[in-house]
Amino acid sequence: MAQETMIELNRISKHYGRKIALSSLSFVINKGEHVAVIGPSGAGKTSMLNILASMLPADDGEILVDGKPLDSYCDRKSRAQKIGMVRQQFDLVPQLAVIHNVLAGRLSDWSLWKSVLSLLIPQDKGRAIEALDRVGLSDKVFERTSSLSGGEQQRVALARLLVQDPEIILADEPVASLDPARAEDILKMLTRIAAEENQTLVASLHSVDYALKYFSRVIALKDGKLFFDRPVSEVSDTLLAELYSLEGNSQK
Amino acid sequence: MRKMNFVTLSMMLFFLLFIGSWYFVIVAENASLSELFTEKNASHAAEFFKGLIGVGEDNNAFLSKTSWKQALGLTRETLQMSMMAIGFSTIVMFLTVIPAARNVADGTLTLSQKWHSWLSYGLIRASYVVSRAIPELVWAMIVIFIFKPGILPGAIALALHNFGILGKLCAEAIEDSDSRPVRNLAAAGASKTQILLYGVLPAVLPQFLTYILYRWEVIMRTTIVVGMVGAGGLGQQFKLNMSFFHYTEVSLLLVCYLILVFIADFISERSRSFVK
Repeated sequence: MAQETMIELNRISKHYGRKIALSSLSFVINKGEHVAVIGPSGAGKTSMLNILASMLPADDGEILVDGKPLDSYCDRKSRAQKIGMVRQQFDLVPQLAVIHNVLAGRLSDWSLWKSVLSLLIPQDKGRAIEALDRVGLSDKVFERTSSLSGGEQQRVALARLLVQDPEIILADEPVASLDPARAEDILKMLTRIAAEENQTLVASLHSVDYALKYFSRVIALKDGKLFFDRPVSEVSDTLLAELYSLEGNSQK
Repeated sequence: MRKMNFVTLSMMLFFLLFIGSWYFVIVAENASLSELFTEKNASHAAEFFKGLIGVGEDNNAFLSKTSWKQALGLTRETLQMSMMAIGFSTIVMFLTVIPAARNVADGTLTLSQKWHSWLSYGLIRASYVVSRAIPELVWAMIVIFIFKPGILPGAIALALHNFGILGKLCAEAIEDSDSRPVRNLAAAGASKTQILLYGVLPAVLPQFLTYILYRWEVIMRTTIVVGMVGAGGLGQQFKLNMSFFHYTEVSLLLVCYLILVFIADFISERSRSFVK
């Protein structure tokens, strides 16, 4: 299978004042890969994902997405088709019905008039219901999102991603606030969907176990630098112990 | 120890002030408390209150059909005035509230900032302050000076005062709203207007409604005050009847007014619990 490059980071740096979040980070992710980003708190995982989602400008370096610089996806529509993001469940609008939160994935495609109309009569309803069906929530289409449990809300977020249908899915701690059973359920669903839709998946995770279980490749960050980047089969316990050790300067 | 000293000192100062002021009132001003409760004052008060309930009045307004008709007509006018007032101020509030929120002006909510954001923020916030700072009575005097007396100028005056209050409360509701859903909508490719529609409005509308209903209640109670300076409705007639010593008419108007306030309280309370 020919490996097509999807994301290429070239010496990306980012600092907040004097605190360095990312220093000269480079790696390449191929199309269809499922990559877990792990590392201790404050290693720069979220900064990296935010830069990839172009919600945060990088101080230095360049990012190529599908062969083109990230800046070339400046209009919201082409960016939404390329990159979708899911975070913790607090990113849904709690007052809206589930279907509107799912259909928010279509907003980049819709005219203003259509999005106003949709709040009264949901547009593209079939697509939203199909997506909710795939995440197992077809019975909660018109319920208020705030009445759903944390795990269900995260499934709604996945349904929104299905409707948005981006080529790259960025997931920032998608299961951080869920119990282990719900977390595994969501990760299983996320990786399955990404595989079915042939999407590239980059997820930051707190838990190494989930990273090893559900992903094919692990990128470890420490103090804003690449600590290791290898397939799951080559990740050893000693490396992990070193990654999470509290002495910051024991390696490299 | 230092705190103790401060407390005892202020207590001593308080007693000194208390004794000093009463000394001034009684000795220097030569005031007497008993003068308030003289025979004369008592008979005046008794006459007034008897008049209010209709004892010894020639034309008892409670028994006159025309008086009732007039009072109910004025009640309807007052209701109209309050509705118009809250309607005007709500419309103007909705038109101005979004740029008046700090998190919209600095771009954290909609993730886009323009050079004129702070300018419109400042201008709108300043207009809110001016509108709030001038009491509705003063607004009414100004507006009636320009227009002829009636319920429309009364409504405009009330709206002028309340739009600043509503604007401030609602802008703060937007400032308190959660930015996380909004960021996610932006990431999903929503435009600025779509973000407002899907992310901001659903979160703040229930709060807006609560504020609007509450201000409507207050406006209902204030209509009588602006009425007194000629803005029409129950207040104007109230003042006229007082000056003509038509006491039963006065109490009839007060009864109508009370009914109106009860209705307004009831409606707004019910709709607020419905929103929640």
